[in-house]
This record gives sequence, C-alpha cells and structure tokens, in this order.
Amino acid sequence: MIIEAHGLRKTFTARRGRGKTEEVEAVRGIDLSVGEGEIFAVLGPNGAGKTTTVRMLATFTAPTSGTARVAGHDVVKEAAKVRERIGYVSQAGGVDDNAPGRESLLLSARLSGLSRSQAHTRADELLETFSLTEIADRPVRSLSGGQKRRFALAIGLVNRPPLVFLDEPTTGLDPQNRANLWDEVRSLRDQGTSVLLTTHYLDEADALCDRLVIVDHGLIVAEGTPEELKKEVAGDVVTLRLDDLAAAGELLNAQPYIKETRPEDDCLRAYLDDGEHNLPALLRALEAGGLAIRSISLDRATLDDVFLRHTGRSLRDAA
Amino acid sequence: MFRHTMLFLGYELGNVRRNPVWPLFGILQPVLYLLLFAPLLTGMVPGGTLVDALRIFTPGAMMMIALFGSLFTGFSMINETRNGVLERLAVSQAWRPAIILGRVMKDMLVLVLQALLVMGVAVLMGLRLPLPALGLMLLLMAATGLFAASLSYGLALAIRDENGMSQLVQFFALPLTLLAGMMLPVSLGPEWLQTAARFNPLYYSVEAGRSLFAGDLSDGTVPVAFGVFLVLGALSLAWSVRSLRKLAG
Repeated sequence: MIIEAHGLRKTFTARRGRGKTEEVEAVRGIDLSVGEGEIFAVLGPNGAGKTTTVRMLATFTAPTSGTARVAGHDVVKEAAKVRERIGYVSQAGGVDDNAPGRESLLLSARLSGLSRSQAHTRADELLETFSLTEIADRPVRSLSGGQKRRFALAIGLVNRPPLVFLDEPTTGLDPQNRANLWDEVRSLRDQGTSVLLTTHYLDEADALCDRLVIVDHGLIVAEGTPEELKKEVAGDVVTLRLDDLAAAGELLNAQPYIKETRPEDDCLRAYLDDGEHNLPALLRALEAGGLAIRSISLDRATLDDVFLRHTGRSLRDAA
Repeated sequence: MFRHTMLFLGYELGNVRRNPVWPLFGILQPVLYLLLFAPLLTGMVPGGTLVDALRIFTPGAMMMIALFGSLFTGFSMINETRNGVLERLAVSQAWRPAIILGRVMKDMLVLVLQALLVMGVAVLMGLRLPLPALGLMLLLMAATGLFAASLSYGLALAIRDENGMSQLVQFFALPLTLLAGMMLPVSLGPEWLQTAARFNPLYYSVEAGRSLFAGDLSDGTVPVAFGVFLVLGALSLAWSVRSLRKLAG
C-alpha cells in the first residue's frame, strides 16, 4: 500500500467576528488505503474535506488526530522522507506567474537534489513530455489555463515520485484540455506511478480512477471501484416526472423488478436492473394505477446515484 | 541548507535580472531628494556648501530606499500564499527557512546595488568619500535591509491581505521617516523628539550613516547600528520563518 491512513481528522479554529472562535471539523475521521500503481479518486462536493485530506497526506497540514503512512513513511514523524517520494499539485497550481516556466522547473529540480546539468536534462525531458518546450521561456502569466496546469504537473513530477497528489486537477479546464489531462494521468499509471486525485466531477472519477471514495461532510460515505459502487444502486435508473410522486413511489416499490425509488425535486428516480426489458412493465403498472406521466427517461446509473443513495442529495445540488 | 538558500537566491536574482525596472524606480525618490532637496539645505548646514549638505543628507536618502523598498517587498509573498507557490514549496524537499532567506538575501543585494547608484549620484554632485566609509555604509545598508525585508515577509505572512498590509506599512512609513531624521538630523529637535527617535531602529542607521559620511568611522553610533540591525534582523527573520510554518493552519 502506498497510502494507508487511519482515522484522519482535522479541526480548524475559525474566527467568527470579534473575539469569537468556532471549531470547524473539516475532516472527521477518514480511513484510506491506496495500492501501488492505482489511480485513486476522492470524490465529493466542495467543502467535503477533500483538499484538507490531501494536504494532510502530502505533509502540508498536520492532522489533529489519526495516522497516515505515505510511501512507507509517517506523514508527521517522517515528513521529510515522505516529501522526497511524492509529487503534489495543488488546486491553485503553484507555478510562479512572473518567471518563465522553465525557471520554476529548474529550481524544483535542483531543490530535489539534482546537479545543474541533471536538472537541465530533467527539465528538457518534462517539457518535451508535456509539449511545453516552445513556451518554456515565456512568463507563465502569459499562458493559458491548460498550459499552466501542464507546467504545474511537470513541476510535480520533477523528482520522479512514485506517488502524485492532484487536487482538483481539471477544475476550470475546457473539455479538450480536460481530456488531455486525463490521458496524461493514465500514462502516469502506465509508468507505474500511483495517483491520488480529488474531484467533484462524477464523470472524471468514473472515467479515470481504479478505485474511489465518496466523501461528504468530512466522512467517507462509500468506497470501491466505480463499477462496484454503481452496482450497489442497480444498473439502470428511470427518471419520471409526474404529479403524484408519493403515490407513484408507493406503487413502484411494490413491483418486483424495482430495487428502490427516490424522490428528487419534482421527479422520481426508480432503480432497477435490465431497464430495457422492464420499462414496458413499469409503464403498464403506472397506467393501471391511473398515474399520468409527463416525461420519462432511462439511463445507466452513475456515481451521482451512488452519492444520492448515501447522502440523500444529488452531487450537483451539493456542489 | 546553504545550497537551498543559494538556489532560491539565484532564482530570485534571475527574476530581478529579467525585470530590472522596479529597483530602478525605487531609487528615483532618493535621487530626486538629492537633486531637488539637498540644495535647499546649503544655507542651514555648517560649511554652507552643497557638498556639506550632501554629507548630512545622503545617508538619510539612502535609508529611504531601505524603508520604501525593502519594507514593501513582502507584497509579492502575499500572492504566493494564495497561488499555491508556498504550498508547493512547503511540501517539496526545500529547507523551509531557505524560502525566506533566499528572498531576504536578494533584497539585501538589490538594496546594496541601489545604494551604490544613489551614492554615485552624490559623488557626481561633488561628494567625496574614503573607500572604507563607503564599504561600511554598504554593509550598514545590507544590515538595514536584512531587518526591513524579513519584517516585511513576516508581516505579509501574518496579514496575508494586500489592503491590510498596504495600510499598515503606509501608516508607519511617514513617522519612521521623520523620526529617523532622514530629512534633517533629529538632534536639531527638542528633547522629546530625540527620545522618541530612539525607539525607531532606522534612527540608528541614519545616525551611523552620518558618522561614516563625516569620516568618523570609529564613532559609537556605528557599532550600535550594526548591533541593533543584526539583532532585530535575526528576530524578524525567525518570526517570518515561523509564520511560514503556520501557513498550513
């Protein structure tokens, strides 16, 4: 296991006006284990404690309680050893805007212990990998969001870490840059690097990660592979718009092929396996019950349904 | 540790080299004072020539760069608390004090170079100085810079807000200028003013600078100024490094 965390908690003291303070529990007890070579996602809405969790694992913030071993070392007692073995790309990126990207890259390379000539070789290598060679000598502030993010990633990888933390790596990127970044993360795994990333995008966790945890209010609410988690909620979901949600829910829950139903805003979500074959039966049942349907759709269940099942709200509403 | 400090210093100096306009702007104010204000003093100083006026006024003008330059240097770091640069460095293999030390050394070097330029202007205007006095004056500038820059980084990390920091530094800049006797020696003033000046660290550097420029290298004000700034410099440096550690909350 490249990451093993037990009971991680973090409490901040926030100032609330004059002289008043309030304890804020950002993370309320998180257990994690990430295997070597895995892409592991921490999925949750904003404010769920994702960033705080990553910061504790990356030795930036000391946990209030709990322990974690990262890359074989304790994050509090052996922070220096952990830092040698990780790459960390924060949400903000952390690339100096005023200097050319190459300079930041060279500084990081030298700080990680490389000689001047080794640092130049490593920097050229990374610039090549991330197609940054041509813009390496321009001040970073003149670059686009996607280019900055690639620089941040290159800097995070300068010491060839076996584990990389990516905090919200694609937030604010356009779809093209997002897809490119996904490819880069996958190629990291192909080279044997473990990746822990946080995201509030369901499709990102679904498309990219081998395993994930869903966090909400500082606690893990579900854990597994994307497939396992989706299987928990049945394979398909029928979303219905109709007037009498309560009656429809009661009626559908009585059907043998329906696993469960959940009202959400003005619609009802019914979970079932093999939706294509069961949909006609569902329609007949509603018609027999005298319930008029305004609209209906059949979809594969997503991680949002998993989130909804565990927290009672949709990730889109929570974010 | 030393290696990391040098690496940060080199990186920072690279930034200055690529953008040398700002340090040049920094000396504009003292140079203008030398050109346009020092001539007004000729009637008030013993001797009564421009050179006599410069001898008294130039050390004060040089300390202005320390006050208005180095004390504002921390502004750049406020942005770095937000854009993730410090966060990234904090979890890198960098020796943390080097992050501040490298920057402070850059500020000290820039300050010495600025001081040389200001002195060059004074020399062009006719001031003549023995080399040892010049060397000691530059060292004194470096010591002042050590304090002002470390204090500025400490403030930046403690306040973490451009508006707040700007208000605070502006608020103190004028009383510090006046109570250091940068314009006119404090000894011209009443007793209470002279007492108040003793609580202003910059007062000691201006006094020591005047002794050096008067050719009085062994004057008591010189070791006092170096002592004051080395102690205050070390304290404020320790404070800013501590604030850096608290960044994570």
